[in-house]
Amino acid sequence: MDVVIKAEGISKKYCQSLKHTMLYGATDLTRRFLGMDQHTESLRSGEFWAVDDLSFELKRGECLGVIGPNGSGKSTLLKMLNGIFMPDKGEILINGRVGALIEVGAGFHPMLTGRENIYINGSILGLSKKEIDKKFDAIIDFAEIGDFIDAPVKHYSSGMHVRLGFAIAAQMEPDVLLIDEVLAVGDVGFRAKCFNAISKISKNAAIILVSHAMPQVARTCTDICVINQGKLLYQGKNVPKGIDYYYSQFEGQKGIITGNGDASIHSIEFESNGEKGIDQINYLDDLNIHLNLSVDKKVKKPIVGISFLSQELQIVSQCTSNFNNVCIDNTGDQIKIKLNLPKINFNPGYYFISVYVTDETFRDILIQHYAIKELKVQGNFVGLAPIQLTGEWDIQN
Amino acid sequence: MKDIVKVSYSPKGPIISGKRGPFLTTRLMWSEFVSSKELIWRLFVRDFSAKYRQSVLGVFWAAVMPLITVGMFVVMNRSGILKIEDVGIPYPLYAIIGLTIWNFFTVGLTACANSIIGAGQMVVKINFSKVALILAASGQGIVEFVIRTVLIAIVFIYFGVAPDWIGLLIGIVCLIPLFLFMVGLGFVLSLAAGVIRDILNVLTLVLTGIMLLTPILYPITGDTFLARTNVYNPFNYLVNIPRDFIVRGQTEHMSEFLWVTLLSVIIFHTGWKLFYLAQTKIAERI
Repeated sequence: MDVVIKAEGISKKYCQSLKHTMLYGATDLTRRFLGMDQHTESLRSGEFWAVDDLSFELKRGECLGVIGPNGSGKSTLLKMLNGIFMPDKGEILINGRVGALIEVGAGFHPMLTGRENIYINGSILGLSKKEIDKKFDAIIDFAEIGDFIDAPVKHYSSGMHVRLGFAIAAQMEPDVLLIDEVLAVGDVGFRAKCFNAISKISKNAAIILVSHAMPQVARTCTDICVINQGKLLYQGKNVPKGIDYYYSQFEGQKGIITGNGDASIHSIEFESNGEKGIDQINYLDDLNIHLNLSVDKKVKKPIVGISFLSQELQIVSQCTSNFNNVCIDNTGDQIKIKLNLPKINFNPGYYFISVYVTDETFRDILIQHYAIKELKVQGNFVGLAPIQLTGEWDIQN
Repeated sequence: MKDIVKVSYSPKGPIISGKRGPFLTTRLMWSEFVSSKELIWRLFVRDFSAKYRQSVLGVFWAAVMPLITVGMFVVMNRSGILKIEDVGIPYPLYAIIGLTIWNFFTVGLTACANSIIGAGQMVVKINFSKVALILAASGQGIVEFVIRTVLIAIVFIYFGVAPDWIGLLIGIVCLIPLFLFMVGLGFVLSLAAGVIRDILNVLTLVLTGIMLLTPILYPITGDTFLARTNVYNPFNYLVNIPRDFIVRGQTEHMSEFLWVTLLSVIIFHTGWKLFYLAQTKIAERI
């Protein structure tokens, strides 16, 4: 298969102060107009590299995931690939048509009907009238807007607006498709439809996907590229490893401590295979959690629990004393707890632990250490779901 | 099988592979224009229908505004505040033709200057030919001109005067340099407005100032400073030569007209080229 998009050492610089932006903008433009050399390769005072020396190439059917924290240069990269502005160093080569699922529906005119906007938006995206005529029914079908097609777009709900925008963009048959987080829109049914449309396009196109949703990245991408502050941290075909790198960017984040103050947690410690003070365990190993806490005397029977959170701070699992029919009698002295959790079957990756103490009613939170400690689960695979069950397989031939 | 276009993006700008040689920029500009003809038309129709659908009175306003302006000058003339010399035809007719030609320029220029900012997020999110935005906006001047032609026709009939029919055709052809001047300036202003918004506020003021200092609503003659400066004012010729043709079928300023035509072509080409080279730079700054 042929390479459809190739980037060679592309870089882009930005400027922090407005004064410099204007000055440099004017000088660059004058030099360009007069056909003089442009010194784009080096930084002037006040400038920094927003994207620094990225290279990759993609064939049809491949999908590159670009991940990184906010402000890492992902959107700048997409804009360069889309030809909105040029790199200051390096070169991008594209064979064929570029489609972009970025801000779908940008350019809709609120006063005009859906029908009129389909033609306008289509031609902004580079489709000819003939092509739009041919795809018109498919667009309306996909957007599910029915009779509203002849109503002004300003009367559309925000969902209809996005659906129509996506429907037009999805008809482009691009050779390179750029996707920027648009899939977070619409209801569940429409999202499933979007995924279908994208996977249909992906057979004949190279995809570049910018996303913060790691499960989606893990599912769709064949290549991955992790950037932070414009710099490349990891690039390769090992998508789970890239996702690991991405998460490692957020290490050292402090959890949040809340509660009414009637209890305090002195220490939280992990133990596995007889080793204390660890921060990572192997998939399916036992985990012991040592808690050291004290609770005010007036609370006779406190409830203690822990929960595990994914990197996206979704609760993955929970273990609470009263659900396990365990009663803790409080005298006001320090309470030492050893909690054994057998066979941790979490999907390999990073998790946070939260510890909380409540009163007998389970309503008043005495203290909660939210996402206070990180636990890494190691394994030789990465699945999609946070819990990876181990089943008993009986296979008959 | 659709043909595959090979593009390269580098600090030198977007280059479609296989294109090189002399006048590369000009040829790239031209091919961008040709390939975006349909888009220009769509955007023009969009602006047109959005504008005139939004206000039922859109057409009415386009016709009434010049009537009010001209009416004020007629009153000032009658009451002796402003002494307007004999122009050979009824004064209201003279004024309304001049104002219509001038509006053709200002309406188009204002629309062009606003076009990049008005397009908003589209400019920074979608890769499309931005030249189309400017050219589509310039059509607004033409639309308004056509609406006002009806008004002029009514005024001609009211005064029982007939235009010079051949001169009318020549006069309309003589609007082309004014159009090129407007688009060339529109290219530059739309970019500048993307960086400095204030330009749009100042623009209206500057245009009114130029209108009052140029012989558009009244002739400026004699040995005054203003009359002497107006010899070097391109708008003087760009407005008055078409009017001369429409009213009298001839003009005394043929050689000056050639000069302003040349000037207009240069401004048009320079503005377009500047726009072409700058459009990717501007996208970074909006």
